[in-house]
Amino acid sequence: MTTTVEGRTAPPRKAPSKRPRWLKLPSFALAIPAWAWLFAFFVAPVALVVWFSFGYKPGIFGTHANDVLSFDRYAEALSPTFFTTFQNTLWVGVVGTLICLAISIPFAYWLAFKAPIARRGILLAMVMIPFWTNFLVRTIGWQIILAPSGILSEALQSIGMLNEPLEILYTRTAVLIGVVYNYLPLMILPMFVAFDRVSLPMREASKDLGAGRWSTFMNVTLPLAKPGIVVGILLVYIPLMGDYITATVLGGAKGNMAGQMVANQFQTAQNWALGSAMAVVLVLTILTTVGIAALVAWLAAWPLRANQRLVLGDKS
Amino acid sequence: MNRLTLTDVSLKVWAVIVFVFLFAPIAVIIIYSFNEGRLLVAWDEFGFGSFAAIVTKPAITDAVLVSIQTGFIAALIATALGTMAGVALARRAGKWAPAFLILLVLVTVTPEIVDAVSLLPWMVFLGQDVGLSMFDNGIVRLVVGHSLFATAVVAYIVRSRLVGIDESLEEAAADLYAPPFKRFTQITLPLVMPAVLAGGLLSFTLSLDNTIVSAFVQVSGSTPWPVYVLSAVRTGLRPEIAAVSTIMLLLTLLALGLVAYVLRRAGDSATDIAKTVGGG
Repeated sequence: MTTTVEGRTAPPRKAPSKRPRWLKLPSFALAIPAWAWLFAFFVAPVALVVWFSFGYKPGIFGTHANDVLSFDRYAEALSPTFFTTFQNTLWVGVVGTLICLAISIPFAYWLAFKAPIARRGILLAMVMIPFWTNFLVRTIGWQIILAPSGILSEALQSIGMLNEPLEILYTRTAVLIGVVYNYLPLMILPMFVAFDRVSLPMREASKDLGAGRWSTFMNVTLPLAKPGIVVGILLVYIPLMGDYITATVLGGAKGNMAGQMVANQFQTAQNWALGSAMAVVLVLTILTTVGIAALVAWLAAWPLRANQRLVLGDKS
Repeated sequence: MNRLTLTDVSLKVWAVIVFVFLFAPIAVIIIYSFNEGRLLVAWDEFGFGSFAAIVTKPAITDAVLVSIQTGFIAALIATALGTMAGVALARRAGKWAPAFLILLVLVTVTPEIVDAVSLLPWMVFLGQDVGLSMFDNGIVRLVVGHSLFATAVVAYIVRSRLVGIDESLEEAAADLYAPPFKRFTQITLPLVMPAVLAGGLLSFTLSLDNTIVSAFVQVSGSTPWPVYVLSAVRTGLRPEIAAVSTIMLLLTLLALGLVAYVLRRAGDSATDIAKTVGGG
């Protein structure tokens, strides 16, 4: 039994809407609530802070005034007193991100290629467990470990590696350990996903063509995983630069970071104008350094790209 | 073939070291929650006193309750807004999409401390100058502060999930005369459900964890748990804080296990779940 379909008219591709034309929603309708929410509670308040940053602190009891506008607060924020803190923050940010990178590459590689496949999910969940524990509480955990009379100090003394209590808490090193710890999962996860997407055939093809393990890693796996690595670097570097909890718990007076400085201006010094200028400088520092890093990476890859370009046809 | 090379062994050793590093402070907190001493950092002797003390301190239980309440509402708002935005970005991206994505990226890259110092004067302005008294309410302030970053994160997760799924199912529904709203609730929403769940869970934990924004916008009387801990860092940490953290870790693990179970029933492999949760 066969039925012919030629006689029937094809159904319309899209269902015609029964509603009048003016009721049809534009394509961005679903994004409007989120847009409005973020505009009201992100764009507007941040704009207000940028506005404050051009003002000044009127007297002891005022927090901000904007009747005279100037860049003076920026000059103040970059004066030697505060500039060293920005330098310190940048140092912790860059070194911390690099350490996270150095820890994550071998680890994510192991997780994606070497770890038993059946246990990969649970291992990945284990990476995330610290991430699900309260940020502040796990930092306090480090405070206990790094204290002069703490576990690490006692252990190092008992095996004879140290003769006196470990004086690491409330220094920049302690802050560095803390931030590396706190942001490491954010580097491992995207990197694992990136490595995981590099298919086995690609790596086997490289091996079949005579490349060794190291060469395969450098020329095939790593370039293919680059987007994930970039995401990881951004996910670690940006929050790390704005962090002030870790520095408060582990840094003491010596390990000051820009975030604490901004917070102090708002909470203790009650100088909102200066605090705002510092916040803007912090954001600009992050954006500039990310921009510079991107430019450097792009320039560094230039000879490599030229080298690897496939030339089709013989010119001679 | 399966011969272990030096590289394999050293990679494995490295992995073990990384796991030890990741778990060290958590293990320390769990152990120290059984500290009977007055101060958390000074170990005295083993006991359950700190767990018993939680019940007798209303400040602690209040703070935890404020955190859970805030986390729940913030997660609901962020999930609703983020899901709609993510669907719009994946399915109906028009000329507006790049600008909207830039806004989302800005929300994610702005350091929390900048959000915090911006929201404080803004809340005061809305509450006192404009006269919207709801913004004087502690929970409202916290919910608003916690929902911003989470909304962007949910939008990313939902978008990346939906981009990977062909639109043919929705087109088929349209061909079968399903009105747009029904199409959304019966086809699109079930398709993105794993991403929505993962996003909601992530929003909830982000909110529970949020210290910086909370410390700025909070109103006395509705202090969330992390702010309570932060003030304890300044005045003296007691073992109760570790005890509460141990209980919360256990509850989080339980919730995570439950979500993983639900997602696995929905057909995702463990790696996919982790990827969804991780935003890949």
